[in-house]
Amino acid sequence: MVTTVLIVDDHPTFRATARMLLEAEGYDVIGEAPDGTTAITETHRLHPDLVLLDINLPDLNGFQVAEQITANDGAPAVVLTSSRDSSDFGPLVSGSGARGFISKGDLSGAAIAKLL
Amino acid sequence: MLGLRRALLVLFALGILFAGLDVALVLSSNHEDQKVATAILGPLIGLSFIGTGVFAWWRRPLNRFGLLMTGVGFAWFLAGLADSNNATVYTLGSYVAPLYLVIVIQMVLAFPTGRLETLGQRVTIAAAYLDALLVRLPFFLLGGDISNGASGRTPENVFAITDAPDLAEVFDYTSMFVAVVVLIASLVLLVRKRNAATLPQRRALAPMLWTGFALVAFLGLAFLFDVLGLPNEMADVASLLALVAFAVLPFAFLAGLVRSRYSRAGAVGELIERLNNPEADRSLGLALADALGDRSLKLVYWRPSAGHYVTYDGRAVELPAPGSGRAVTEVEREGIRVGAIIHDASLADEPDLVRAVAASAALALENERLEAELRARLDELQTSRSRLVEVSMFERRRLERDLHDGAQQRLVALSLQLGLAQRRLQDGDDRSAGALLDAARDELGRALEELRELARGIHPAVLTDRGLEAAIEALAERAALPVSLGEMPAERLPPPVEAAAYFVVAEALTNVTKYAKASQAEVRIARNGGYAVVEVHDDGVGGADPATGTGLRGLADRLAALDGRLEVHSPPGEGTTVRAEVPCG
Repeated sequence: MVTTVLIVDDHPTFRATARMLLEAEGYDVIGEAPDGTTAITETHRLHPDLVLLDINLPDLNGFQVAEQITANDGAPAVVLTSSRDSSDFGPLVSGSGARGFISKGDLSGAAIAKLL
Repeated sequence: MLGLRRALLVLFALGILFAGLDVALVLSSNHEDQKVATAILGPLIGLSFIGTGVFAWWRRPLNRFGLLMTGVGFAWFLAGLADSNNATVYTLGSYVAPLYLVIVIQMVLAFPTGRLETLGQRVTIAAAYLDALLVRLPFFLLGGDISNGASGRTPENVFAITDAPDLAEVFDYTSMFVAVVVLIASLVLLVRKRNAATLPQRRALAPMLWTGFALVAFLGLAFLFDVLGLPNEMADVASLLALVAFAVLPFAFLAGLVRSRYSRAGAVGELIERLNNPEADRSLGLALADALGDRSLKLVYWRPSAGHYVTYDGRAVELPAPGSGRAVTEVEREGIRVGAIIHDASLADEPDLVRAVAASAALALENERLEAELRARLDELQTSRSRLVEVSMFERRRLERDLHDGAQQRLVALSLQLGLAQRRLQDGDDRSAGALLDAARDELGRALEELRELARGIHPAVLTDRGLEAAIEALAERAALPVSLGEMPAERLPPPVEAAAYFVVAEALTNVTKYAKASQAEVRIARNGGYAVVEVHDDGVGGADPATGTGLRGLADRLAALDGRLEVHSPPGEGTTVRAEVPCG
């Protein structure tokens, strides 16, 4: 079964490139969101299997969004991402309800599959 | 001035003429009981009022006090007409006799300005005139007895149109009753006047006020004894004491003058002694307050570098506006303004005293001014230092943000594109791999441009390598609107000055692009004395406020660190001129 994905990032260039990359690797990108609030409503509307969630968003930060998205049963898996390194965030990633963290430069379908 | 002096001399001569006439009337009078005493004291009292009044008038031509005092003297001589044997002159003299008392009370209440300043004073004096001239009139018209207890044969009352002495007495009694009320009201007003006076005013008022108080009090008693029908002797004693107080008044006025002159000399002497005594209290403000007898006195110090006055703590201060009850005397030392004394407005009546005190304190004031200047600079340094730290933190955050949002994002995208291209190549899809590599090159070019822009913001290499003019030219070329360059310094300036000038122009041009809606801008940098003067002018909408933007305030702090300053002139609708002055070391 194909994994459906919602990409959340405030940089359109990244969203476009990530979509190309994931689609090339067999994922189905069903939506994009530029900020945290839109991410939450789009998750409820589209029910993706996976939310690829940037940490630095203009309104909420990625950890807050991840907490809200993963609070209910049957919630999608969340993978956090950032152009920074995971060491910049310490224990925040593990406490947020997300499956894990992938640095933007290392993003690939295989890296995501490993976390799921 | 000469005209006034001559007129006053004529007035005094007229007074002597009146005095002579008075003596003649007394000596020829066949109803004056105390001929010798009256012939000697009468002219002396009248002339002392006229003489002192003329003197006061000459010293302060705009003050009506001199006029009032002279008026008392002439009214006193008018009362002397009652010594005449001629019935008409005698009746007229008797009728106007109380006038000098009314004028003298007005004079005391109006001291020292010559004007009745409160409604209470004006009402009281108006009542006194009405009482003397109107309420007493029926007494004369009804044929009242105007012999005033004289033992000799007095001329008859020529004002009488009928003979109703009992009814006339009613009016005499009423008039005396009103007089008592007026005198009591005057006592209250005098006490209020004293209480409302500031300390230095009280010093000048005291002799006049106390003598006036005695006069009004004894006069009130005399009338009261009369009204109550007490034995005549009591009223006579009170009248005599009132007369003594009356006669003393001109001398009380002179004593007040001497006293204030004496205290002036004393004040300056004591002040000099105190300032030269290292053991004495060090507060110059207190010493001046004591010398001038004004506890509310405040000293402020001139800060030439800032162009305003500061307090001893170095805080900027506004001078009181005229009419606020406070007056300002500026203090200069060797022709240079060092400070100002803010004092009670009443001291402005004695400008010589304040100036004398200020002159003797000028050196000490200059020392305190330097201390105040130092404190003010220290304050500014502390404020601008903490703002510089703030600005630097802000700059670092902005730099991090710019790197993260700009170049870093592009490099991330680049990395992903390269990964994708690699995969396409592995799949044998050369065409789509080529397209991805083209996009990656574009992305890399944009990342490089953003990094260059950032580096320029930190410190432009062109400024270090090729100097201010080349760096400003580069700024002008990159600007979003036409920028013309005016005068530029021919030689290199010290590196911190060049950097400050560069960032003034960069920030100003950024603001022009963002806010000014201008069609063009002009930049010039000139050397003026020991300063580099940077000016950026645009033809935009104006109305820029340097207090609201962090950019301009950060610049102002950067300039303050170099002892320079920033001015923004931006009237709405007339464009903006940003002008910076930086000392060239």
